[in-house]
Amino acid sequence: MADRSLSVVLRQDGPIPLDLEFSCGSGDILAIFGPSGSGKTTILRSIAGLYRPAHMSIRSGEHTWSDTVTGQHVPPHLRGVGYVFQEYALFPHLTALGNVMTALGHRPGAERRQRAEDLLRLVHLDGHSARKPRALSGGERQRVALARALAREPAVLLLDEPFAAVDRSVRRRLQTEVDDIRRNLGIPLVMVTHDFEDVVRLATHVLLLERGRAVASGPIATVMSRPDLAWLREAVGLGTVFDAVVTTVHQDRGLVELSFAGGRLLAPARHIAADTPVRVRIPAREIVLATQEPAGLSLHNVLPGVVAAVHFDPAFEPMVVQVDLGGTMLLAEVTRDAVERLRIGAGQRLHALIKSVSIELLTSASDDTR
Amino acid sequence: MDWPALSISLWLGAGTIVILLPFGLWLGRLLAVRDFRGKLLVEALITVPLVLPPTVLGFYLLVTFGVRSPLGQVFQSIVGHPLPFSFQGLLLASAIANIPFVVQPIQRGFEAIPTEVRDAAACCGLTPWWQFLRIELPLAWPGVLTASILAFTHTLGEFGVVLMVGGNLPGQTRTLSVAIYDRMQAFDDRSAGIMAATLLVIAVATLMATTALSRRASLSRG
Amino acid sequence: MRDLFRSSIVVLAALWTLGVSSVSAQRPPTIAAAANLNFALTEIAKQFERDRGARVEVVFGASGMLTRQIRDGAPFEMFLAADEEFPSQLTAAGLTRDAGAVYAVGRLVLFAPNGSPLTVDERLDGLSRLMQTGSVTRFAIANPDVAPYGRAAEATLRKHGLWDGIRSRLVLGDSIAQAAQYATTGNAVGGLIAYSQVKEPAFADKGKYALVPQADHHPLRQRMVLLKRASPVAEQFYAYMQGTAARAVLTSSGYEVPQ
Repeated sequence: MADRSLSVVLRQDGPIPLDLEFSCGSGDILAIFGPSGSGKTTILRSIAGLYRPAHMSIRSGEHTWSDTVTGQHVPPHLRGVGYVFQEYALFPHLTALGNVMTALGHRPGAERRQRAEDLLRLVHLDGHSARKPRALSGGERQRVALARALAREPAVLLLDEPFAAVDRSVRRRLQTEVDDIRRNLGIPLVMVTHDFEDVVRLATHVLLLERGRAVASGPIATVMSRPDLAWLREAVGLGTVFDAVVTTVHQDRGLVELSFAGGRLLAPARHIAADTPVRVRIPAREIVLATQEPAGLSLHNVLPGVVAAVHFDPAFEPMVVQVDLGGTMLLAEVTRDAVERLRIGAGQRLHALIKSVSIELLTSASDDTR
Repeated sequence: MDWPALSISLWLGAGTIVILLPFGLWLGRLLAVRDFRGKLLVEALITVPLVLPPTVLGFYLLVTFGVRSPLGQVFQSIVGHPLPFSFQGLLLASAIANIPFVVQPIQRGFEAIPTEVRDAAACCGLTPWWQFLRIELPLAWPGVLTASILAFTHTLGEFGVVLMVGGNLPGQTRTLSVAIYDRMQAFDDRSAGIMAATLLVIAVATLMATTALSRRASLSRG
Repeated sequence: MRDLFRSSIVVLAALWTLGVSSVSAQRPPTIAAAANLNFALTEIAKQFERDRGARVEVVFGASGMLTRQIRDGAPFEMFLAADEEFPSQLTAAGLTRDAGAVYAVGRLVLFAPNGSPLTVDERLDGLSRLMQTGSVTRFAIANPDVAPYGRAAEATLRKHGLWDGIRSRLVLGDSIAQAAQYATTGNAVGGLIAYSQVKEPAFADKGKYALVPQADHHPLRQRMVLLKRASPVAEQFYAYMQGTAARAVLTSSGYEVPQ
């Protein structure tokens, strides 16, 4: 697949302050997360060419879309950007089919209708192609917007709060679709959200934004394992997020066995097949640390590891202990008293105890088992 | 019924729309979409004909384009007759007088289009022209229609500036509204009444047609 | 947008041609005439068409306004004023063939519509009495600045010492025709209008009138001129105005015709 990776540099003092740079590779989902007003939508608009900050550099693969140094600026209609707007921005006077066909100008006339119908089928809307946006529900409009964005055969897909206005069950289905798209298309996908659940479920990479400035960025597992992000704690509660694969399904016991970079885990689950990739989240407060390997406990999961660091933020009790499981950094919330009692410090070998019921499996193929 | 006068009134109305619509589309859309220094001044200038007494407009047109002015003499040398007391003079006067009636509704029509929809059109790969034709114009259509009807009916009723700039030349610049005045002066109330009723019917009929059309348009858009 | 542009250019060109053709095509000559001639001249023009087979279009207005329009380039070919001064302005400006000719002498009347408290008499005593009782609501004359009949009305009122008292009650018509309108409708108790107007069939039974003696104002000698651009038909009409048929109509409309 052609290299479609996106690289973005945005800087300006005002009226909207921006100071960030990032890149997103083909097949990656970058989630831009931050509170309202932090400039998330501005970033998407800049990538699309709809907004021009004082200093910018946007490159898609080998094409330079914007560069304030050379003065280059490819207008939005000449970039290959698929943009799903926050309020979908469907054309009210056209049917769903018409909306999608509008983005197919680059295809010969005879093909356009067929291609539009195919795309609507892809998002499970083929029965509604003749409807106008006002006759569609929120989730259906979302999917038309998605189909329209994909019709462009874009080099980059941009999603602005894609699941915000949609209810929970529809949200899960949409997330599945987005994940499929990501895997199949091999283009970078940049998603803006203020809901960390979206980030946890879908993103491969995360950019944490505060007032236009990137506070943290990187692969999801790495960013999630940073204990110093106070507001992350407030927003979602501290936890560890990582990818794993289902190795065995123990139907009789109602458990599945997962393999990941730090060992093996047992988690309760139904309707999951073996070899399914899953994303796992373990809330930090669900972890118990033991300086000795325990016996006779109901726990399924006892993982050996080495303490990497102990963090103390006076604004929060308890403290956060980072435990290196040999490939994955686990975060555990432990009271100061316990830390002192067990004399937990860097370099110490101990065991992390995880109840199987505390393990959240976020897969693309199944519902939340919680 | 003064048929030539009716014809002149209708042609004047149609001509005003034809002249002003392209201008109104360009300026109305520009004002709706772009922000620029001096925008407030432009918007204020557009409103001037609304508050200007028609006789003031007539006066300035006569002074600027009359036979005794340099511009007027240029005009006469090109076209062969002076601008006042000609149908072209009426067209010019009517076009200027109707600028706010055309530009403002069109501006509102384009303003009603959410920015995101315009952005989406660009992201769909539509060039600015196609964006305008396929997406913006169909959505701003009620504004354009309102502008046309307002200008047309307003032109039908113009009197002061038409009389000043056009005179009352039968078959050339005597519009229906001037003809009504003319007949009244001659104590021909019957003719005046017929023509006044005609103007009223035309105005009401056009307004009804537009209301019906715009209602249908907004229903189909949702 | 480009198509819209192109098609609007086409329509604009069509409109332009309409405008142009309405001027350059073979149109009957347009004659400017003082408003007091409304009935008489329409009748004369009809007879002219019958007798000579040619048409003229007449536009009526206040002499002052018509003079101004002619100076501004209005395409009239002949001008029948209500006085001699306005045509002489045009002659002095070099816009006329010559100094023209006096075609009629008009008279002023005091008019009171039916139901008005004003009694009419040639000495204006009735008006004077009404003014003393304070019952003059409105009194109509033509605007002296643009209408010679209005000038004559002012002179008459001054002569009878009524001008200062009635000034605040005056309603000024922008032509003698509008003055007659005011005089016959609603709020005015009456007015000083043209004899030729009250002699019109449309005026019959509208009220009572009394002729104002000629000595009360400058004679209303009405002069006509041919403008430089006059066509042969206009010249014919000019001559016709001095012929027997036209003079008969003028006389029966209350004008004196010069020998």
